[in-house]
Amino acid sequence: MTNSELFDVSVFFILFRETLEASIIISVLLAFLKQGVGSADEDLTIYRKLVRQVWFGALLGFSICLVLGGICVAAWYRLGKDVWSASEDIWEGVFCIMAGFIISYMGLAMLRLNKMKGKWRHKIADALAQTDGRNSISTFSSKYAMAILPFVTVLRESIEAIVFIGGVTLSASPKSVPLSVVAGILCGSALGYFIYQGGNHMRIQVFLIFSTCFLYLVAASLMSRGVWYFENYEWSQLVGDDVAEVGSGPGSYDIRRSVWHVNCCNPLFDGGWMIFNALFGWQNSATYGSVLMYNLYWIAVIIAVCVMLHKENPGYFPILFKYQMVASDEIDLTLTPSVAGSSARTSEESDLIVIDPSFSRYSDPNPYGMGSSSSHLLSPVDDNDIASGPSSATSLGTNRASLESIHDVDANSDPLGASVLASASY
Amino acid sequence: MRAFSLLATLAASATAALAATVQYDFSVDWVQANPDGDYDRTFIGINGEWPPPPIKCKIHDRVIVNVTNNLGNEPTALHFHGIFMNGTNAMDGPVGVTQCPVPPGSNIIYNFTVDQPGMYWYHSHFGGQYPDGLRAPFIVYDDDEPFAGQYDEDTYLTVSDYYHQSIPWLTANKFLTLINPTGAEPIPDAALFNDSQNIKFKVEPNKTYKIRIVNMGALVSQYIWFEDHDFKIVEVDGIYVEPTDASMIYITVAQRYTILLTTKNSTDKNYPMIASFDTDMMDTIPEDLVWNVTGWLTYDDNGDFPEPTLIDQYDFYDDFNLVPFEKEEPYEPDYSITVEVAMKNLGNGVNYAFFNDITYVAPKVPTLYTVMSSGNDSTDATIYGSNTHTYVLGYQEVVEIVLNNFDPGKHPFHLHGHTFQVIERSGASPDDATTLMYDPANPGTVNEYPMRRDTVYVRPNGYFVLRFKSDNPGVWFFHCHIEWHLAQGLALTLVEAPAEIQSNQAIPEDHYAACKAGGYAYEGNAAGNTVNLFDLKGEKLQPKPLPAGFTARGIVAMVFSCISAFVGMGCITWYGLSDLKTTEREVAEIIGEPLDDSDESK
Repeated sequence: MTNSELFDVSVFFILFRETLEASIIISVLLAFLKQGVGSADEDLTIYRKLVRQVWFGALLGFSICLVLGGICVAAWYRLGKDVWSASEDIWEGVFCIMAGFIISYMGLAMLRLNKMKGKWRHKIADALAQTDGRNSISTFSSKYAMAILPFVTVLRESIEAIVFIGGVTLSASPKSVPLSVVAGILCGSALGYFIYQGGNHMRIQVFLIFSTCFLYLVAASLMSRGVWYFENYEWSQLVGDDVAEVGSGPGSYDIRRSVWHVNCCNPLFDGGWMIFNALFGWQNSATYGSVLMYNLYWIAVIIAVCVMLHKENPGYFPILFKYQMVASDEIDLTLTPSVAGSSARTSEESDLIVIDPSFSRYSDPNPYGMGSSSSHLLSPVDDNDIASGPSSATSLGTNRASLESIHDVDANSDPLGASVLASASY
Repeated sequence: MRAFSLLATLAASATAALAATVQYDFSVDWVQANPDGDYDRTFIGINGEWPPPPIKCKIHDRVIVNVTNNLGNEPTALHFHGIFMNGTNAMDGPVGVTQCPVPPGSNIIYNFTVDQPGMYWYHSHFGGQYPDGLRAPFIVYDDDEPFAGQYDEDTYLTVSDYYHQSIPWLTANKFLTLINPTGAEPIPDAALFNDSQNIKFKVEPNKTYKIRIVNMGALVSQYIWFEDHDFKIVEVDGIYVEPTDASMIYITVAQRYTILLTTKNSTDKNYPMIASFDTDMMDTIPEDLVWNVTGWLTYDDNGDFPEPTLIDQYDFYDDFNLVPFEKEEPYEPDYSITVEVAMKNLGNGVNYAFFNDITYVAPKVPTLYTVMSSGNDSTDATIYGSNTHTYVLGYQEVVEIVLNNFDPGKHPFHLHGHTFQVIERSGASPDDATTLMYDPANPGTVNEYPMRRDTVYVRPNGYFVLRFKSDNPGVWFFHCHIEWHLAQGLALTLVEAPAEIQSNQAIPEDHYAACKAGGYAYEGNAAGNTVNLFDLKGEKLQPKPLPAGFTARGIVAMVFSCISAFVGMGCITWYGLSDLKTTEREVAEIIGEPLDDSDESK
């Protein structure tokens, strides 16, 4: 990618996304500890020990991934460069399109940050329930559950990041990797911390919307540029070395495919236009292929958003309703496991949700927060040592019982109640 | 080896005091040959032979060349390079200027008198044809030459670049195509001496040889030198010059130099003679290209033939300083034409060459034929078409051509029907970005008796100034003699004294017959319109210019891209805001699921 010499948007985004996910897990764990253990004065040492476990696990995972990542990136560049440079334009095109897909795949999920959070809470509880519930589990894993979970999580997220970065940045300048990596980690951790602190939910969401829009702009430009690179490759195969010789002028592009061409502002040579190209897909020489790709990409995004909205809220699009009834099982794009439940909802219920958007929730400073406001609801687990003791199994059992009621609340279209219960169910 | 053809006989037929008629019957046909030993290809030969035979005559002779086109698949035409054709403009030979192409199976007769001595050459002047083989020397002997008796042998030497592929194929697939946006000329595959290589030029000790040298190539100029042998330049392009000492010449395509070379006193050693490409004129130098050709001044057939010694630099004689034997001071111009040379791409993506933004496109009717069929309108340049770039010249005036070269390459320009004084020629510009332009108020070096010739080169981003007398009524082509550049349209047309052409000249019937046989228009204006000569509808024009920047479709594409991006981002925002509504419900659902369902990913 030719974002710039020193910064690569795709690398940044991947790191941002993976760090955010890791930091959400850590923050969920920490909140969990704070609420479950930290509030009891006598267990302060245990609490501190467990917090230390969490951080130790996370940092261990992080350091292992740093080493792994360094080795991988170095190996990529060492071994890969020769292979890629032979037909650079093709690889640039492939990587642009790959990066575009990765961003597209991750991007919308980011807007479901709260869902992600909920999911992780679910998973952690699940994991804890398993370790607590089975005596056959080795004492090691029981003892260090609070370290293993963040360790595994951080390691997993970072290996993911390495794989993605490896795929995305082969054609990028190696110089651009460190800065993007650091910036991505910092931003991801900052947002994670913000969430942990239970900042203004609306503001977080607005931030996420802005950044997602921006990232999709980048993705659209990557897709468009990918096609452009393929065409440019074909052109340079035809013309030979002269393409580089002619700069931005006549002959630097295939007149048969040109939509517009200005003899300046070439993003391959000019720094300012390079950034413009990275962000918005600017080309001084646009081709039919690249312009079509740009527009088709946005149309695909629009359709995807509509489909996802429809899945989440059947009835948003009455026209699509019939289709939804038939095809919902095949195109299950959402993370919701209970498709049957959601599609079984009647349109009346959905209308209710639309008509009553429950704006009151927005004024709630901490609707899903993990701060003290909801800690009192955690009393069933309050006095238990989470890492050990048979009693916790029962307490989680109680939890499970209380979860059953959520469906009932939800069915009554009382999102506020549900949200309180949801956030408090641990 | 064709070494023996080198030693042409001494200016023969010294007995013929009166002007004679020399007739050549040429059947133009395809011939297989392999001049560099690397590649067997078909050439355009004459009478089943390649290289074609030289035309030889004495001054004031009438020459009749009866050409039959037996190629079967290509038209042809012959031009007699440097011959003035005074009173016989129709015999000059450039297609589209003074004649129609001669279609396969047709016949045309060139009939003219030669009143100039020296070294010339003849070649096809149709569609880039001559580098495919149809070119040979044209030698005019003169008993009264100023250096008569100062030499023992009269011979000639040709140099040429050489392509393995045919010119039409290269033009269509490698050159005049949008995949060659820089207009890079195809690189020759080899250099030839006398259409061969490693020739043994037999010499005897202590003798003086008159060697007429011609560059019959398509693209590159060549440096020519004879190791350890200096020589005297005595004639260029048919103009005798004051004998001038030199050790190396620089000869562009179409130029001729006649030299007197005196051999050494002993036969101990054979000496290499070398012709070497001016590699600056090539876009790239392929690794496997041998860009010079070697022969030997052969004193001893059984001796060694040493490899040439490497030289540090090309120390050649600058032809600008040659002084004609018949001295004339610079003419005072009556009429001046200023042209700018540039290479640019047009709307079809192809790179063309321009004089003042006009790239030459041959008219439907050869310009001479338009002169002959236009009566009093012949003095109006309009009727000759928009893309023939025609200037109408008066009779017996001094015409000046100022040429400013905005291209970073060297170009050898040739004027048909004339020799011209080279008044000024600048050096090359130190960089491609600035062009040295002629400024009449601030002239450069002008020699007392300017050199005259018919082909002169301009240096990269430099200029030259030429002057000639319009004493030869006819339609004369002025063009770059690099065959590739002519194909790119680097040419203009001079219609000199059209009224005098109409009153004193005629186009022979067999020339018209060639037009009819090929279905070519032969009367009317450039568009073939005989009723209204000023109606040029249907004339041949250059392609449209490249679209500049944003055209309508560019703006539409840009607007649509912006709209789709904004709508897309709107959707994302909508989706993001709806998170607040949907999340809690889904969180509830997730939590409501059995806890062992834990392997789902994000």
